[in-house]
Amino acid sequence: MIHLAYLDAGSGSLIVQAVVGGVAGAAVAAKLYWRRLVDRFRRQPTDRG
Amino acid sequence: MAAPDTGIRVEPGSFRDPANRVFHAGDEVLRGLGPEGARDWRALSGSAFFAELLAEGKVCGTEEVDPARLPGWTAVLRHERIPFVSHPYEWSFAMLRDAALLHLEILRRALSAGFTTKDGSAYNLQWRGAGPVFIDVGSFAPLAEGEPWAGYRQFCQTLLYPLLLQAHLGLDFQPWLRARVDGIEPDQMRRLFRGARRLLPGVPTHVHLHGAMQGRNARASTTEVRAQLRAAGYSRDLALATVRGIDRLVRRLDRRDEGSHWVDYQRTCSYTVRDREEKERFVEAAVRAAGTPGLVLDLGANDGRYARIAARHAAQVVAVEQDPAVVDALYRALRAEGERRILPLVMDLADPSPGGGWRGVERASFARRARADVVLALAVVHHLALGRNVPLGEVLDQLVAYARPGGRLVVEFVHPEDPMARRLLANKPDGLFPDYRRDEFARLLAARCRIERQQELPCGTRTLYQAVVGG
Repeated sequence: MIHLAYLDAGSGSLIVQAVVGGVAGAAVAAKLYWRRLVDRFRRQPTDRG
Repeated sequence: MAAPDTGIRVEPGSFRDPANRVFHAGDEVLRGLGPEGARDWRALSGSAFFAELLAEGKVCGTEEVDPARLPGWTAVLRHERIPFVSHPYEWSFAMLRDAALLHLEILRRALSAGFTTKDGSAYNLQWRGAGPVFIDVGSFAPLAEGEPWAGYRQFCQTLLYPLLLQAHLGLDFQPWLRARVDGIEPDQMRRLFRGARRLLPGVPTHVHLHGAMQGRNARASTTEVRAQLRAAGYSRDLALATVRGIDRLVRRLDRRDEGSHWVDYQRTCSYTVRDREEKERFVEAAVRAAGTPGLVLDLGANDGRYARIAARHAAQVVAVEQDPAVVDALYRALRAEGERRILPLVMDLADPSPGGGWRGVERASFARRARADVVLALAVVHHLALGRNVPLGEVLDQLVAYARPGGRLVVEFVHPEDPMARRLLANKPDGLFPDYRRDEFARLLAARCRIERQQELPCGTRTLYQAVVGG
């Protein structure tokens, strides 16, 4: 929701909240980083092409 | 949004969220809500959790009034007036901790009801006596599922980090908050928590990981990261778990007691029982002479003895004391007693809070906020005049300026022969303060006020004056 974001919440500050939210939170953070990694590999061939 | 000249003035500290703005109309505090803010308010005012928070006094009293009161705004709220606005750098450790815990409780209850707060600043809180109250009603908004708390960074910078500084390092946080309106940055904290300190409670995650994540994600936009978190399964339950975790951490933190010269002041100072009794009678009569004063300022309050006497007759007493340890002890005592009329604040009278933030007015200076009906300055003048070299006339100018016109000043002059004055004079060259005399003090006071009453204490080295400012 854009309307919540009058404040710059800070990207790192958003992610760290998942990590401090216990095991389930760490799993969310791990998933986020895994997806970022996978996306990078997927994107690379297209970028080169 | 400019209002026509109807005696309405904008609150300079309320500009950050453009969805709403606070105004003063005489003694009333109004909040203008734009279309979005009005929509959020409709949802909030219909919710049970908000009604409960209002009933418990945890959120400042709020009602909707005629939108015509503030032209240009979709809806208008009227808030309960906070007796004396204070800033987090004027609070003691336990005050900041209680403020943080209230903020977390409000967020937790909001999340459970499908709402959130858009920010997490210490400035969202104020005080009714020794009880914290959440004032930023414009901060509530419906929660979007999968949304982490936008106020977490602000909470760390203005509430959690200052508490960590005091609890783990024994550093007073007040100068840090006073110097930086947005609080302490994670990167500054990381430099203070090196070595074994990295492992102290709350530090590995909220300080080091937080700082590192900020660095690594500096180029990712928050919109992008929000979408990634939602896709990875971030949920309201997780947000609640995070809030509970921070709450547990904050509850574990306590002030490191480093000892303080002023803590035992009442026991070690040179008063006899008779002196004290007469002084108490004089102060009580002076406060009573003011009718039921709305605001009494007790400057140099120490353990709050005279603030408590004043509170028998006044609506609100602000007890100012420079030593954070003394203020902390006073606050804890007042909180335990459930006292709602005395607000203890940390401030050095020789270095009062300046204006801060944008244009120097976003956070009003102490001098701008202080318009007291009665000013108590007991055993204070000699500390400023002899201890800090402030010219006697200027000491009085400042004391008078803290009172409203027609208000009363109750001031104690400690004669140069008094043991406390001699102790201060012993640290300065002889003859440095030729004007520090009782007759000169009385002359300077009479030039600024109408002296109603004066009394020498039985010890013979202290005189009390009751005077009307501008009278």
